[in-house]
Amino acid sequence: MADLVNLTIDGRLVAVPKGTVIVDAAKKLGIDIPVFCYHPKLKPVGMCRMCLVEVGTPKVDPATKQVVKDEAGNVVIAWMPKLQTACTTTVSEGMSVRTNTRQVADAREDILEFLLTSHPLDCPICDKGGECPLQNLTMGYGPGVSRFDYDAKQHNDKHVPLGDLIFLDRERCIQCGRCVRFQDDVADDHVLQFHERGRHMEIITFSDPPFDSYFSGNTTDICPVGALTTADFRFKARPWELASAQSVCAHCPVGCNITLNTRLETRTGGYEIKRVMPRQNEQVNEIWMCDKGRFVHHFTRAEDRLKTPLMRDANGQLVEATWEDALSRVARELSAAASVAGVIGDRLPNEDAFLFARVFRDLLGAAVQQQAGLFVSPRVPAAYADIARDYGIGATADFKALGKGDVILLVNGDVEESAPVWFLRLRQAVVERGATLIVAHSRSTKMHRYASQILRYDAGQAAQWAEHVIRNTQHATPPLDLEQIKGARNLLIVFGDEKLNEAGARALARSLANLLILAGHAGKASSGLLPLYPHANTQGVCDMVGRAGPLPERVDVAWLVGVGDAEDVPQAAFVIAQDLFLTDLAARADVVLPALSFAERDGTFTSGDRRVQRFYRALPPLAQAKPDWWIIQEIARRLGAKWRYSGAEAIFGDLTAAVAGYAGLTYPVLSETVEQWPPMGRADLYYGGTVYDNTGGLGMRYPAGVEQTGFTPHVEWLPAPEPTVDALRRPVPALYRDGELIRRSHVLAGHLIAPGEIPVLAK
Amino acid sequence: MLKEKRASDIQKTLAKYPSKRSAVMPLLYMAQQEYGYCDDNAIRDVAEILGLDPTEVKSIVGFYTMFHEEPTGQYVIEVCDDLPCALRGADDFVAHCERRLGIKAGQTTPDGKFTLRTVMCIAACDRAPVAQVNTEYRYALTPESFDQMIEELKGQDIK
Repeated sequence: MADLVNLTIDGRLVAVPKGTVIVDAAKKLGIDIPVFCYHPKLKPVGMCRMCLVEVGTPKVDPATKQVVKDEAGNVVIAWMPKLQTACTTTVSEGMSVRTNTRQVADAREDILEFLLTSHPLDCPICDKGGECPLQNLTMGYGPGVSRFDYDAKQHNDKHVPLGDLIFLDRERCIQCGRCVRFQDDVADDHVLQFHERGRHMEIITFSDPPFDSYFSGNTTDICPVGALTTADFRFKARPWELASAQSVCAHCPVGCNITLNTRLETRTGGYEIKRVMPRQNEQVNEIWMCDKGRFVHHFTRAEDRLKTPLMRDANGQLVEATWEDALSRVARELSAAASVAGVIGDRLPNEDAFLFARVFRDLLGAAVQQQAGLFVSPRVPAAYADIARDYGIGATADFKALGKGDVILLVNGDVEESAPVWFLRLRQAVVERGATLIVAHSRSTKMHRYASQILRYDAGQAAQWAEHVIRNTQHATPPLDLEQIKGARNLLIVFGDEKLNEAGARALARSLANLLILAGHAGKASSGLLPLYPHANTQGVCDMVGRAGPLPERVDVAWLVGVGDAEDVPQAAFVIAQDLFLTDLAARADVVLPALSFAERDGTFTSGDRRVQRFYRALPPLAQAKPDWWIIQEIARRLGAKWRYSGAEAIFGDLTAAVAGYAGLTYPVLSETVEQWPPMGRADLYYGGTVYDNTGGLGMRYPAGVEQTGFTPHVEWLPAPEPTVDALRRPVPALYRDGELIRRSHVLAGHLIAPGEIPVLAK
Repeated sequence: MLKEKRASDIQKTLAKYPSKRSAVMPLLYMAQQEYGYCDDNAIRDVAEILGLDPTEVKSIVGFYTMFHEEPTGQYVIEVCDDLPCALRGADDFVAHCERRLGIKAGQTTPDGKFTLRTVMCIAACDRAPVAQVNTEYRYALTPESFDQMIEELKGQDIK
């Protein structure tokens, strides 16, 4: 590559892209330059001076403009008289850097001595203790003894709530400004700033509400000291007591890679999740995650989790039952029923959805007199998931590559509320790398800030609008600039289903697919649809189940798997409910079967961009609860199936053979990793923060329909019906809306918004 | 509200800058003239006018010493007592100011007329002792010239 720059660091040659700073170039050689304020995901500021190194460049003779060489023919290096900050100095051709000299070591010791002048000695009670960059670097380079007067230490406020999720300890703060820069540059929510200067400088918030960003937890990961701590984890455990399991967030279609940190609690005798941390996957969430994913975990050990099967007794009361009794009863009812409807929630893992679909395909409905139908809840996204798959972004599409020349069209969706980390990624593609954003919506969202064109329509009219502007752009007002879209390098269409019913949402998705085809972008690796689904595995469950017909009004038996309090379930004489909690719906069921949460089992989710990712068991099973796939298998066996799957992996083997697109995927393939750049989650905590290294797998996006052989893209316009009253009444997406889990969170419950409420628009 | 009180000044100021946020300092001065200091309401006013987060405006007020977050006297007298000024007798001079005004450095006179502060270097070492009175410099001060200045200012009203 032409834009590589060669330099020498501690005598070793390295070539890095132009514009790289010395800290990152050194990292490529495995040479660690300690930093506090520098973070590879933030713009460098050179505030803390910890990264001082010796820097020299080839000496040039002013008269001849030629590089000077010594007698042996080696280039003479002109060393700069003072140490330079390795985090703000970009590399140049022939540069020489020394990081291991006495002078550099002295500088590090000096900086640490200054940083520690007023740092409190409360490491034994500090949450960061054990994974603290300041602690580690002091051990590595710092002075053993302070020359400053202990009594002259400046004492500042501790336990300052910056919001109700994040606390600030002002005397631990070393004013690196990482949190401020994260809020400014990454989250675009300017609620943290410095106040005063010099020795009085401190972090403040003066916003209303104060620090209530959807991404606030990330500041505690990148804080290089214990100044910022979460309301959830502070004073709860020491890092070295924690076990960790690699997982995938189960709460939105992004599929952030996470780590569940658990600890055995002597009080309860069981394991508990103590905190949820991001795990690096540059293809998905980089090193970030949203606050919902981080703080919603308490439901896994909520008091009211279902612990045993329940059956209705002679008096009509739900009472505890054995698995054998409950399963036999269920099997009897299913065999005897003339009509059965299965409804599966779109939060369930692929394996469970696949088995459930197999029960309906192979066992139920097999008898002539039996009618059986299978449905996904909620129904609206299930109406267009096949279009999103067929015309989705390519298997190799990379958010990082989106930039100048690309057009992002956002239609009828709220990215920040529906898929927070995609908001970060799309915003960066526009703001940092120059992609063009066109937004079409009936209301304003935070994404509107970055749009170069904003198009409007009435609520519920997205499908009509889309057909109108795409088929007939010159007459539409304002028109969609089709020439601009045709001329784009790539076209990414992000869309939601706000205020649409099934037919409307399907018509919208179809029109947007038509736009891809008409503009010449269908089938391009980095172009395609990106749906803003409501839950973590909408795509996966729909892939397993396929499209369904209309929901019957009444059936003999309704079998509900993980649907929560969904409204789109049929009336039934006998109801089977598998769930985590005794929801209102489950409380009306005849048999209730306790299921395990994603944290207590293995499985896979398929993200909204079709990345199939593995999650691993973090907690032991709760009481008698079982994985949904096990429950489904046990019922199937009682209906005559010969299945003996030992676990999710075995099911996945059959799944990939049967489901289009999943061929070739295996658990080992999904567990593969390649080195992430910049490398984080290693021993050099000061570099990336307390994010975890990814050893559990990066997952794999399966090819879109258009990428598969034998698929021919075709334009098809579906009738766009007028919006129904039900659809118009449906609440708009909000991160803190689905109350079943959030209200069980110890820290998020207060953030729940009312059913009809629209989330506060970011300023 | 600043927005109503100084509507035309605000419009004129905003017109001078390519983006609204650049007008934050002039608007803060305006707010300080209007309210005497940049209190929380003034900060929120300015933030709203400019479409900024109040935290950003608060940060600017905190950074610059000439924006006051607490009520001050009508006249803020800042005397430099940094090293070169101290060599020219600034310490004795500050002691005189305190005696004359009957307050300690950092305090405001009970009538709300004067606030006395010490500051580090205001770039006039060659004519020390020096004081900055609101936005004006007074050079080569003596106890006598200071007393005379106080008498003059007492008779004036800034508003």
